[in-house]
Amino acid sequence: MKALSNPLARWGFAIIAAVLLLALLAPLIAPYDPDAINVRAILLPPSSSHWMGTDGLGRDVFSRMLFGARISLLVGFVAVGIATAIGVVLGALAGFYRGWVDTVIMRLVDVMLSIPTFFLILAVIAFLTPSIWNIMIVIGLTSWMGVTRLVRAEFLSLREREFVLSAQTLGAKNGRLIFRHLLPNSLTPVIVSTVLGVASAVLVESGLSFLGLGVQPPDASWGNILTDGKEYIEFAWWLSLFPGMAILLTVLGYNLLGEGLRDALDPRSNK
Amino acid sequence: MTRYLLKRLFWMVPLLVGISLISFLIMHLAPGDITSTEASFNPKASEESRQKLRQIYHLDEPLIVQYGLWLKRMATLDFGTSFASHQRPVLLEHKDDKGEVHKGMIQEALPITLLINLLSLSLIIVVALPLGVISALNQNKPPDRAITVFVFIGFAMPGFWLALLLMYWLGVAHNWLPISGLHSLGYEKASLQVAIHVPLWANFYLYLSLPVQLWDLAKHLAIPVFISALGGLAGISLFVRNGMLDVLHQDYITTARAKGLPENTVVYRHALRNALLPLITILGLSIPGLIGGSVIAESLFAIPGMGKLFYDAVLMRDFPVIMGILTIGAALTLIGNLLADVAYAWADPRVRRGVGG
Repeated sequence: MKALSNPLARWGFAIIAAVLLLALLAPLIAPYDPDAINVRAILLPPSSSHWMGTDGLGRDVFSRMLFGARISLLVGFVAVGIATAIGVVLGALAGFYRGWVDTVIMRLVDVMLSIPTFFLILAVIAFLTPSIWNIMIVIGLTSWMGVTRLVRAEFLSLREREFVLSAQTLGAKNGRLIFRHLLPNSLTPVIVSTVLGVASAVLVESGLSFLGLGVQPPDASWGNILTDGKEYIEFAWWLSLFPGMAILLTVLGYNLLGEGLRDALDPRSNK
Repeated sequence: MTRYLLKRLFWMVPLLVGISLISFLIMHLAPGDITSTEASFNPKASEESRQKLRQIYHLDEPLIVQYGLWLKRMATLDFGTSFASHQRPVLLEHKDDKGEVHKGMIQEALPITLLINLLSLSLIIVVALPLGVISALNQNKPPDRAITVFVFIGFAMPGFWLALLLMYWLGVAHNWLPISGLHSLGYEKASLQVAIHVPLWANFYLYLSLPVQLWDLAKHLAIPVFISALGGLAGISLFVRNGMLDVLHQDYITTARAKGLPENTVVYRHALRNALLPLITILGLSIPGLIGGSVIAESLFAIPGMGKLFYDAVLMRDFPVIMGILTIGAALTLIGNLLADVAYAWADPRVRRGVGG
């Protein structure tokens, strides 16, 4: 909890906790069924019965925003989980075994980094049916390179440290070296990059959904509510304002939390 | 320096092979093969045309042979023809049997995206540099705090949302700026009469005086350039700030101050120049982000650049175009990184001498 002594991290944590809570409790809080079409309530402005107005099909925007929060968080966590898992394994392998293993993995990282990520994601999606699961997998598979580099760098420097060398001298096997000594000591920067990674995954998902290549209607996502907002921008500002603000705030929350954690966990930054 | 360049160029070869391999494998992710996917989008596709496709892409050969053949064609810059767009060539123009010239799709789209990216890079440098320096010189004071807030909001801002708001506010509500395309409507009619040999985007310049043309283009590009620069603006400001803070705590800055140099000299000649060095690398690394980011801005504003071309190709599953843009986009990134490294070596005598021997 030392991390939360940082004011940035505290703000970020508060925002994320609020979004998480709203997402978890969505079925209880939502005043309407998010997918219920009501032709007698099309494009109503915000009012006491529809807090964020209604969309072009008369669906309650507030309810859709709540369920959209679930999608956003789910995509963020799962995608980053996949990326972190791949990144930690490859980074550990490269940093521990060095030599040709390292060369192969780092060249793969270079290749992946040189293909514009958004192009890569779109290309893969073009060949699969756009579904929430495919999007999470694709974002995960295209964003592990940073973690790989971090873990590798940590491993390379830790491997020369005395506590590791002495464990090795005492006869510790590779598995024990990796899992007991190296990995636990290299996770700090990974935590920061994970939090920041969720932020960018949320942005990518909403961008994809906005373009119509992400979460597909009738499932609600902040990105595809905005697509409607674009359609009706001249008559229904609420369709654009609320989802945009939600994305902005959520991403801001993760970024603040990530930067705050970086400051709190990095002893050098206590200038 | 020459040896350094050659070494760098040599390293690009395995990377290019890796990139081509990934682009190629993506094409084979599709369930079934591309002829069946294509057919599902085009119900009229006959068995005959399907066979023809299979032949062109050697789909009956083993995967490794297909890859080899594709690589061979790519090496001669032959990226095939589009499935969707009247069989236009993907990369470079070519003459058909009747002597008609077909424009290359990437050939036409690339200059537009490059223009937008160069403009956003310039905007980033012009705005983010001073912001970062001001921030660092006023560490933890109000200007620094204000800039930090801007940086965090810039990072978190969904570009497509801001684009939408600006489009509505500046374009629809106030009608100050055009919201789609590159040129105003009247000019495009004029362009139809111009000889085919002029690139499409340059056509209308023949009919208008230069200042009017540029003003028209600038108005069309203002929002898209700002949107694609947004993330970079935030990132580079923060980067310059932190770089300056690091450098300002170095001993040689204390020395410079101790020997009585004016503060301006210390800040701009001693500190800034050193803080800027890593910026060269960062700008080089930001290229894939800029190219990839062009999808949203270009498709929203109907700008016929690489991003829009790619988006349309994805919607129509136009495989040759998708693979072509992936490969060309990656090659551009490599070239950008190479330029950044060369610029770094040029700017930093330590690197230059170290590698030049």
